[in-house]
Amino acid sequence: MSSINRITGVLKQELFITKASLEVIFDLVFFPLINIVVFGFVSLWLAGSSTKEAYYLLSGMILWQMVYIGQYSITIGALWNIWSRNMSNMFVSPLSIKEYIVALMISGLLKTLIIFILTGVLSIFVFKFNIFDYGLLNLSLYFVNLTLFAWALGIVLLGVVFRFGTRIQALAWGVAYLLQPLTAAFYPVKILPGFLQTIAYLLPPTYIFEAARINLVDPSVQWNLMSVSFIQNVVYFILSVWIFTILFKQSRETGQFAKNDT
Amino acid sequence: MNSILSVSHLYKKFGEFTAVDKISFDLHEGEILGFLGPNGAGKTTTIQMLLGLTEVNSGEIKYFNKDFIKNRQHILQRINFTSSFNALQGRISVKENLIVFAGLYSVKNSSKKISELSEYFDTGDLMNKKYWDLSAGQKTRVNIIKSLLNDPEILLMDEPTASLDPDVADKLLTLIETLKKSRRLSILYTSHEMDEVTRICDRVIFISHGKIVAEDTPKNLTKKITDATIKIRFVENKDTLEKYLQEKGLSFVFTDTHKVEIISKEQDIPKLIFGISKIGIYITDIEIEKPSLEDVFLKIARHEYEFHQ
Repeated sequence: MSSINRITGVLKQELFITKASLEVIFDLVFFPLINIVVFGFVSLWLAGSSTKEAYYLLSGMILWQMVYIGQYSITIGALWNIWSRNMSNMFVSPLSIKEYIVALMISGLLKTLIIFILTGVLSIFVFKFNIFDYGLLNLSLYFVNLTLFAWALGIVLLGVVFRFGTRIQALAWGVAYLLQPLTAAFYPVKILPGFLQTIAYLLPPTYIFEAARINLVDPSVQWNLMSVSFIQNVVYFILSVWIFTILFKQSRETGQFAKNDT
Repeated sequence: MNSILSVSHLYKKFGEFTAVDKISFDLHEGEILGFLGPNGAGKTTTIQMLLGLTEVNSGEIKYFNKDFIKNRQHILQRINFTSSFNALQGRISVKENLIVFAGLYSVKNSSKKISELSEYFDTGDLMNKKYWDLSAGQKTRVNIIKSLLNDPEILLMDEPTASLDPDVADKLLTLIETLKKSRRLSILYTSHEMDEVTRICDRVIFISHGKIVAEDTPKNLTKKITDATIKIRFVENKDTLEKYLQEKGLSFVFTDTHKVEIISKEQDIPKLIFGISKIGIYITDIEIEKPSLEDVFLKIARHEYEFHQ
């Protein structure tokens, strides 16, 4: 019960910060919506009469937001406390690091869901593209896999922030975008040069974007792609927790964790 | 006395630098223990280890006779921390911050608790203000409220009066004294203000280069410094006085032609004043500065203090 109280406490803090911060609202709501609008129009223009190609791009952009928001929420959620010099206060309470991460993951999940619905509805009205046509099962599988990847990425970056402090905070915004071209969010993997294709297939979102493109014409669940993505995600998630544990331990050994607040 | 925090052989090294060198001490129930030392002495690292923010290399920390590492959550539920160097979340309101921490400490009837503390500390009008809009004194009061939300049995206070106006600092010290009496709260207190340490601490520990170099009551520590400064104002015969002081082998300085400051053993002061009068010096004013905790601190910082257990 106490554990639930503490997780709820962190979730309340996330809600209060989101409510009070124009920056968060811009990062999580305004920019994704603007991205969808700009990307949607560019897609329509480039695709000409072929709306299918335009929808490839648009669905890629809507689904990509799941990775971005899930990861952003975990890393930036922690940075708000570091910037305020409040992190020590949080961790001299009975809050455990596990509870804190679980709270940030839940917060990321909720934000992702809200933004997905918003961007989905926007694309229906502006571009007559209904992402919900993918069906509940497909969308759930996309959501689970992309969110798992976002969490894994967020957890590693959180460990890096704890270990090295705010001097590397730019990674919190940048890393997802470094990976974006490799996940083939907007084009088929076969467009990439050979060695980049190999890297692309090591990234779980690649399979989701491939499946989503197939699902635009064939709504049946691409179990083979989903399975590979899920297995990779499980491996990456376990790896991310392991890496985080090492970085967090080092952060406490070197005194960096406490120094982050000064 | 009942020890509720026991630290033994606590050791921390950062690379080749030994920050805390096998220190041991106890905090007793209802006691305010001053934890003092120059910058870089190892105070902050010790407190960070006592709170679990920094890992220890070796040694043992026990709260309420329980190992801290093994019982972290249970122990952190019963203690709290406040520092002038930490802050709460700046962009949310004071009330929202307190709601968050009430959740983290699983405070029952949290609204009532926040209202009671807010009334006691007279922060009712600050509740809806953003934390970053508060003055230093207001922030300190809010930080103290946060640190009392869970009714702690031990409070660790790291320079709580730093950056406060003297009157606000005085109010805080009065409050600490009241809390100690009303709640039988045990406090580990760090500060660079020796006057306030002398005022509120029952006992003090001096740490230097990671080691405890002195541990006693403030009064006993100052007693170990036997030298006092005597400031004498006189009418004339400066040369005679100078010759007399030189003959006595005393350390002195003339601050002007009619004023001298002499360093002397405290017990020799009456004899010295009598001697000066006897050589025909007409004294118009005498001021005696007895050693203070500040002097102990300075001697420790200058490595001049010898600790005798």
